[in-house]
Amino acid sequence: MVQAGSKKASISKINTKAGISSLIIFVVLLLAWIAGFSSRLFAVIRFESIIHEFDPWFNYRATAYMVKHGFYNFLNWFDERAWYPLGRIVGGTVYPGLMLTSGSIHYVLHLLHINVHIRDICVFLAPVFSGLTSISTYLLTKELWSAGAGLFAACFIAIVPGYISRSVAGSYDNEGIAIFALQFTYYLWIKSVKTGSVFWAVAASLSYFYMVSAWGGYVFIINLIPLHVFVLLLMGRYSNRLFTSYTTFYILGLIFSMQIPFVGFQPIRTSEHMAAGGVFALMFAVGVLKYLQSMLSKTEFKSLVVFGGLIAAGVVFLAVVLLTYAGYVAPWSGRFYSLWDTGYAKIHIPIIASVSEHQPTTWFSFFFDLHILVATFPAGLWYTIKNINDERVFVVLYALSAVYFAGVMVRLMLTLTPVVCILSGVAFSGLLELFLREDDNNRVEDSEEDEQSTPSKRLYDKAGKVPKMKHEQTRDTDSIGPNLRSIVTVVILLLLMLFAVHCTWVTSNAYSSPSIVLASYGSDGSRQILDDFREAYFWLSQNTADYARVMSWWDYGYQIAGMANRTTLVDNNTWNNSHIALVGKAMSSNESAAYEIMTALDVDYVLVIFGGVIGYSGDDINKFLWMVRIAEGEHPKDIRESDYFTEHGEFRVDAEGSPTLLNCLMYKLSYYRFGELKLDYRSPAGFDRTRNAVIGNKDFQLTYLEEAYTTEHWLVRVYRVKKPEEFNRPRIPVANRVVKSSKYISKKNTKRKKGVIKNRPQIVKGKRLSSQKLK
Amino acid sequence: MIILNTFLLLLATAFAAEEVNTYLIFKNVDRSIDLTSQLVKITSTITLENAGKDAIKNFLVVDEPKANGKVAYRGVKDSAKQDLNLLPVQVEGNDQKKYHKVILRQNLEPGRTATVVLEEILARALEPYPSSIAQKEKQLVRYFGNHYMYSPYTVAKQKTEVVLSLRSVENYTKLKPVTQSDNVITYGPYTDVKPYTEDQLIVHYENNAPFLTVTNLHRLIEVSHWGNIAIEEEIEIKHTGAKLKGPFSRYDYQRDTVNSQHSIKSYVTVLPATAHSIYYRDSNGNISTSAVKHRKDWIELELRPRFPLFGGWQSSYTLGYSVPSYQYLYRTAEGQNVLTMRFIDHVFDDMYVEDVTTSIVLPVGVSDVKLVTPYQVERLRDDVKYKYLDNMGRQVLRLRRKDLVEHHIQDFEITYSWQPQLLLHEPLMLSLALFIVFLAVIVWVRLDFSLGVPEHSKKE
Repeated sequence: MVQAGSKKASISKINTKAGISSLIIFVVLLLAWIAGFSSRLFAVIRFESIIHEFDPWFNYRATAYMVKHGFYNFLNWFDERAWYPLGRIVGGTVYPGLMLTSGSIHYVLHLLHINVHIRDICVFLAPVFSGLTSISTYLLTKELWSAGAGLFAACFIAIVPGYISRSVAGSYDNEGIAIFALQFTYYLWIKSVKTGSVFWAVAASLSYFYMVSAWGGYVFIINLIPLHVFVLLLMGRYSNRLFTSYTTFYILGLIFSMQIPFVGFQPIRTSEHMAAGGVFALMFAVGVLKYLQSMLSKTEFKSLVVFGGLIAAGVVFLAVVLLTYAGYVAPWSGRFYSLWDTGYAKIHIPIIASVSEHQPTTWFSFFFDLHILVATFPAGLWYTIKNINDERVFVVLYALSAVYFAGVMVRLMLTLTPVVCILSGVAFSGLLELFLREDDNNRVEDSEEDEQSTPSKRLYDKAGKVPKMKHEQTRDTDSIGPNLRSIVTVVILLLLMLFAVHCTWVTSNAYSSPSIVLASYGSDGSRQILDDFREAYFWLSQNTADYARVMSWWDYGYQIAGMANRTTLVDNNTWNNSHIALVGKAMSSNESAAYEIMTALDVDYVLVIFGGVIGYSGDDINKFLWMVRIAEGEHPKDIRESDYFTEHGEFRVDAEGSPTLLNCLMYKLSYYRFGELKLDYRSPAGFDRTRNAVIGNKDFQLTYLEEAYTTEHWLVRVYRVKKPEEFNRPRIPVANRVVKSSKYISKKNTKRKKGVIKNRPQIVKGKRLSSQKLK
Repeated sequence: MIILNTFLLLLATAFAAEEVNTYLIFKNVDRSIDLTSQLVKITSTITLENAGKDAIKNFLVVDEPKANGKVAYRGVKDSAKQDLNLLPVQVEGNDQKKYHKVILRQNLEPGRTATVVLEEILARALEPYPSSIAQKEKQLVRYFGNHYMYSPYTVAKQKTEVVLSLRSVENYTKLKPVTQSDNVITYGPYTDVKPYTEDQLIVHYENNAPFLTVTNLHRLIEVSHWGNIAIEEEIEIKHTGAKLKGPFSRYDYQRDTVNSQHSIKSYVTVLPATAHSIYYRDSNGNISTSAVKHRKDWIELELRPRFPLFGGWQSSYTLGYSVPSYQYLYRTAEGQNVLTMRFIDHVFDDMYVEDVTTSIVLPVGVSDVKLVTPYQVERLRDDVKYKYLDNMGRQVLRLRRKDLVEHHIQDFEITYSWQPQLLLHEPLMLSLALFIVFLAVIVWVRLDFSLGVPEHSKKE
């Protein structure tokens, strides 16, 4: 951005001509694109070209599948490696826009024989799209305010951390392309409202179609645009342009959105989409009234409006209520409720609340993600409200709703960021407008300072003007003194510079770690790579049977499927709460009870994440309470959260921890043989660095499982579930064995009839089992 | 080194069934059986004597029918350390046995003696016994061999040394005279052993050398006349020693470095000295545990698999690097291009490779391709590959061979014709494409394509 400014400065001496203005716009946007692209590459440079986090692994796997098997096979893909034994219909439960985008890029490149691996396309997709986002933000801001503000907004969104957090290289997720689609849809919508042209409205609905295919956040568009229309109607700003654009957009958008298998009939059957339909009906009602207005006298018209309006509203409302009641229209979904009531999820849907990015946003993260923009954004908002017109109503509504949602969930900072950039662009543009005005004293100060006739001219009066201003200070004879001008200019530039520095710092430090590769730095600055996740996943992929079923907490489901290519029980697509609860129950039960669940689910391996050796805080013990809560939600008789706390209500893993905790499966799998390990000479054996405690239950053996693999830093531990005939049998020398072949017969039986397995342990330790069950 | 042409020529003459010349006797045989690694290396120094009346041109060696494993390599050198040619032959009356004819450089005149050194490398000849062990146990293996040299000729006198890696021997057959000193067991001397005499030699001993087999190796060589040759090897490895029984405990593994000796933590791959842009990755991305050491004449690459390999565990990875082409690509006086590269390269010491497919991607537009290989390989059907912006494909030669050891690291030679002008083909095409794009933009910007009245034309 600073670069862009200096570039402008060097050229600004040349007389303003249309060609040069478009050259500058082009150069600034290009630089914004390049800056945005490069600042997203920290992770690739520091680590490698790799897919990050959790969800991107599924997207990558699905994309690779689509590239390999073709689009139609992808739509019909039934993934038997997920949600064992249920499976998952991937084609119908996924937004295919992301896969289609990278798949088509892959296709085109391979037509040209540029043999880029699909993984690299996936890794670099989001950074490339960030450039498109800044261009569409430019276009949108230009429509709303001026080209100068547009360039500011484009530069802001190119590097703002709130957006980078979702679009660094390797973060191959829906949001990466959806923000582009969002901004572009809004741009086209504004354009169509302005022109009233069917062409732009169709373009908007096409762009909306892309957005629907890409991200569930399309609901935001289909509510915000009707809201815009509704508010415009309330403000008495009905026009034929509005009528044309909204009706065209709604009808086409509705039909298009229903083409996505995952969306299907939702646009006409769920409450989230009803507002758009209501506004559509209202639009016609208003249209009819406007028509009647020209026919009727004033009093007649008034009564018609009152009665007709009331009756129409009542009928629509009743229809919706009845349809909802009858089950034709689904009521608000739980996820939607949690947007209105921040406490709702914690009580009713613990699985949503357990995700950290669904927590309410702190003030800190507003500043962290937006920095100076958080302060300038209200100023921009004020500017737009002061100079309101049809399209600015839109951005005001956009800003207000996005601020609200961003306050509810950290994750929705993402929808706030673009509008913050737009309005901050407006604010900076307005400020510099004032302080950098070329002092041709003849010019009349218009209150409406931004009509479309002058955007390209004003463009050169922006930040780029600074160096020149210093030379020209002596000539200033405006109402604003030259000192004040230069001070304000310098301060603004300083702020912008700080913003750029902050953005780079945040991107580099907070948002550029792949999270599957960890790095630690020694005291001498040397870097050590902890590659335990891939170590374990690769071990699974190489040294377990192809059909092996791996039980782990759902966070790691996508990664196991993506990197180890093994069947998982639950994964990050948390569609089946009871299945997750069952896994949670297995993890929180004692070993023998867990073994029953595990044999019922055909589990071959159990994978746990344990950070106690290296002090990794995101491990399974720290997530454990959520497992207990989710399990309790489905199995309140067997699992009670209070059992896992001490009498004082503490969650501790040391000797004072609750006995239920110290004997549950998760605890045992995490700490198996950890009690013998001395990390260094000062700390006692079995000292957990993550929780800074010596573990309470040190010396125990596993009966039903055995350690299959533990990674170098103990971060991932994989256990093999023993077969019923394997565990806890006293070894009889071969010579003394009376029945030699019967063992094999029984093995076959147990394999065929699953019911037998449950009783089998009774032979050995039946009493203990049954007594524990009663407890 | 044999060149294929002569090889084929000799092969054709060799189809006639041979006879065992009974006048030839092995006057003295000194055998050394090296059992220190996963391979069995048998080096026999043989003194030949012609007891007949006619000059002898060649002699026969025969595969031991009961031997475990396979002969991965067999080579014969004469006293001047020159390689002698070996040909598979049939012997009348002994159809089941596999014979090889060794052609002497100089005829062996009656009454004279000559010394040759026969080197045989057997793979999969050591049997882990017990076949599965726990993490802390030692790996014991058994070797089944022959106390005598298995030969179609009478052996007048012979001695066998069995070299082990450690002192600790569980058991060995004691056919007198036999002595054990430190890690060497010496059998013999035995005198006047009849042809085809067998007497089983068993050594059961501790062997903690890495039992690592490359089960599959895909070697891809891409030749570019811009000055670079890119080599990529996809390698699948497997620990073929005693299988791991029971759990793998990281705690024990970290605490006792002594006891898990049979596991494989890392190994060294040697690359050419000029190799650069080295990468080591697998399907999940870069493997961050490797170190490159530059030696004077080669590059040592210390590779650590993602996880230590225990018996029965396997892993796979991709290793790639580039070398400058001037070392491997020549131009003959007739304008032909000659590529000389190794058919396989070093993976680790005492390696055994089960199956190799080497693909050579030649530049665009080559013709008259001729291939000469150092030993017999199977040539698979040629393939066509398209690389960056190719519109003409590149010819890909695919070669395959099974059972290779270090001795097979030898050069093949490919001769082809190629026009240097083809180098400019792609840059020109790219320039043209960019030119067209710019032209299109120029035309697009200058002309007004709108259908309606120029009401919303943005130009002022």
